[in-house]
Amino acid sequence: MEEDEFFGEETFQHYCAEFIKHSQKIGDGWEWRTSKDCSDGYMCKTQFQIKNRTAVSHRGTSARVQTCLPMEEALEPPLDDFEVTETTTATEVIKYEYHVLYSCSYQVPVLYFRASFLDGSPLALKDIWEGVHECYKTRLLHGPWDTITQQEHPILGQPFFVLHPCKTNEFMTPVLKNSQKFNRNVNYITSWLSMVGPAVGLNLPLSYARAAFQDEGNVDRQDSSIEPKSLEEL
Amino acid sequence: MAAVMGDPGLSKLQFAPFSSALDVGFWHELTQKKLNEYRLDEAPKDIKGYYYNGDSAGLPARLTLEFSSFDMNAPPPARCCPAVGTLYNTNTLEAFKAADKKLLLEQAANEIWESIRSGAALDHPVLLNKFLLLTFADLKKYHFYYWFCSPALCLPESIPLIRGPVDLDQRFSPQQIQALERAYDDLCQTEGVPALPYFLIKYDENMVLISLVKHYSDFFQGQRTKITIGVYDPCNLAQYPGWPLRNFLVLAAHRWSSSFQSVEVLCFRDRTLQGVRDVTHSIIFEVKLPEMAFSPDCPKAVGWEKNQKGGMGPRMVNLSECMDPKRLAESSVDLNLKLMCWRLVPTLDLDKVVSVKCLLLGAGTLGCNVARTLMGWGVRHITFVDNAKISYSNPVRQPLYEFEDCLAGGKPKALAAADRLQKIFPGVNARGFNMSIPMPGHPVNFSSVTLEQARRDVERLEQLVEGHDVVFLLMDTRESRWLPAVIAASKRKLVINAALGFDTFVVMRHGLKKPKQQGAGDLCPSHPVAPADLLGPSLFANIPGYKLGCYFCNDVVAPGDSTRDRTLDQQCTVSRPGLAMIAGALAVELMVSVLQHPEGGYAIASSSDDRMNEPPTSLGLVPHQIRGFLSRFDNVLPVSLAFDKCTACSSKVLDQYEREGFNFLVKVFNSSHSFLEDLTGLTLLHQETQAAEIWDMSDDETV
Repeated sequence: MEEDEFFGEETFQHYCAEFIKHSQKIGDGWEWRTSKDCSDGYMCKTQFQIKNRTAVSHRGTSARVQTCLPMEEALEPPLDDFEVTETTTATEVIKYEYHVLYSCSYQVPVLYFRASFLDGSPLALKDIWEGVHECYKTRLLHGPWDTITQQEHPILGQPFFVLHPCKTNEFMTPVLKNSQKFNRNVNYITSWLSMVGPAVGLNLPLSYARAAFQDEGNVDRQDSSIEPKSLEEL
Repeated sequence: MAAVMGDPGLSKLQFAPFSSALDVGFWHELTQKKLNEYRLDEAPKDIKGYYYNGDSAGLPARLTLEFSSFDMNAPPPARCCPAVGTLYNTNTLEAFKAADKKLLLEQAANEIWESIRSGAALDHPVLLNKFLLLTFADLKKYHFYYWFCSPALCLPESIPLIRGPVDLDQRFSPQQIQALERAYDDLCQTEGVPALPYFLIKYDENMVLISLVKHYSDFFQGQRTKITIGVYDPCNLAQYPGWPLRNFLVLAAHRWSSSFQSVEVLCFRDRTLQGVRDVTHSIIFEVKLPEMAFSPDCPKAVGWEKNQKGGMGPRMVNLSECMDPKRLAESSVDLNLKLMCWRLVPTLDLDKVVSVKCLLLGAGTLGCNVARTLMGWGVRHITFVDNAKISYSNPVRQPLYEFEDCLAGGKPKALAAADRLQKIFPGVNARGFNMSIPMPGHPVNFSSVTLEQARRDVERLEQLVEGHDVVFLLMDTRESRWLPAVIAASKRKLVINAALGFDTFVVMRHGLKKPKQQGAGDLCPSHPVAPADLLGPSLFANIPGYKLGCYFCNDVVAPGDSTRDRTLDQQCTVSRPGLAMIAGALAVELMVSVLQHPEGGYAIASSSDDRMNEPPTSLGLVPHQIRGFLSRFDNVLPVSLAFDKCTACSSKVLDQYEREGFNFLVKVFNSSHSFLEDLTGLTLLHQETQAAEIWDMSDDETV
């Protein structure tokens, strides 16, 4: 990690590739996507959460109320014995999307995220935070997590929430210094994502940290005493 | 389901339908296509979606459409199965409602049926995974109406279960399961596809073989009464297969019911959790194949999705929040301001700022810059008053105007400024009033017409001051500030005044008189007695807001016609171009600091001496005046007391105004300096002292 002073786009893509390699191994769904119009790409993951419809906050439900048109159809429901009638209407599925992009101006990775219902209607930031674990909520007010803005996704052109990258270098530098001191190999993306992700509902399995270890052939250092207890210790 | 297990022969098979999942990216792309490509074209369009068999328990089977759905060459996401569809996007809601859903479904069913009969579906099983999407995009409101359909051909009779569904690990040994995974992966790899929607299976205790559907005759050679088929199954329910099996069973019945009596079905479900692959929740069951080998007619079909109420009807999604640029601008502006609270100034009361109603008297260099800074603070209610038109010299210094605004005599400034604010940020409530403010020494008694005009102008100004919280005095002459200063003092409104010289400026808040019902008592409700009034180290320390002076308090002449007897360069203030931006910005920041003080306009004035002390608000000091000297790049924060002979805010003037109203004002407008000076006692003062020549903090510009 000698080049940590300068986290270039190539380095970013390299770490993403390593990250995705491990993701594919454990099947947690990270993938690399490119746009057909430009060479830039991004790493993304989608995950779903099931909520009781009543638990979804007012905005979600109120938007829902008016979604049925007053044109309840003349289309006679053909008697279909083959369709399962027990439905899942009592639950609401929420889709979370996390995109990791490279910021040329800040030369750091940036986390874009949004959440929506299955018909595409978005959740407000407040509603997203309702799904965040209590222990992370307090952090939202003072960590680097307080710099959330709303921006257009540079590749998709759609509005996302963004953890603004202006603080990333500040909190990543000590992490990287520390790992250098102990001669540990870390994947920048892994360390960074494990810090910023939980505040917006994105958790990384510990195995990512172990993977970073192993990839660098630190097999001799692999006794359990130095295994990280949590990713943030890295 | 106990019945199925206990009495399998009589139970029938049922299928869990797809839930349509339309990503916001899909709606974005549809919007783009509609605007740029389809326009009024209602012809059906090819689109595609995908489904997934690796969901965690509890999630409904979904057919997902996203932004890539319009790109027929885009590969489906890893391990997902593609589905091909047809988009019917109508131009009107009426056409959407009137669309013949029955016919659309029949057409799709026919295509599926034809692909089964011709054998095309054997070569390309994806043809069985058809879907329809009927849409109407209301792009004014960002409302999207849609109705999703995944057509399924119906078998002529119910499908009797010979063996009810069980989890795969109850039928297969771990070795068989492993062999199945390997065989499936190998075939995917050989075919270069992320998933196989349908496949054929042969197995015994030692091995599992998988084949593409098109090789059925070779593969099934030697099978006697039963065959095994596999389906990539998006459903998570332990007792039911998902929708894709339906059309495949029809194909099986059509192709194979003459040769085989029953079919064993593996609903392949393949998830990975924490790095461990698991297919054991796949289900396997056996059904009797219905006879339909020789029927030529397309079976009836079903598939229109129920709405959220469970009825047969379309759905609507309102995406204005994430697609309407105006809504996006508003939420982004709010979010940006909140950042300031979250991180830098946690105690900042943003609502006090955002909700304040600002009246800007003057829409010139100062007015434009004040308005822009107010917008930056998220202020939503901004009203301009000005009587001038935009001239060719204005746009370079007045950032709300452009060259085009100067043509044909120029647009009225107040109206153009309000329009421009709406353009900059549609969330703002901006208004403009093209009107004059009557001034002392500028007679209005030429005719009854001019007098009536003055009466209306005064009335309007009084209403405007009443209807706002903060009045900004940003005019180009001293005397035009007099009337609003008097009205605002009488109505106890916060006044922020900014005036420019060539390279000097003053930005100040007028002293805010005590509330009227308070009487003459010394106790200001929100302000404790300030003993420092008497004991302070300096005369100007700890002066509460109600004792502070106004713009006219330091003057010993009444305002009059200041443009008379002046050369053009004196009338039309020439100031260093950066000055208006500095002063305009300071005027707004002063207002914001005052609003953050718990006592608002009654706050004790901070002076230059307070710069080292604990600040009174989260944003810092709350000065009375900021006087800037651009030549030295220096600001000072003087404090001055209200003057009991002030021509604007002294009780003599306010009392007269409140008692006589317009009649009093007319006297002021029509007479020379001496009337106000006589009234306030300044004349007397002049006689007593040799009036020094007053340096008039001169004003903006224009004649």
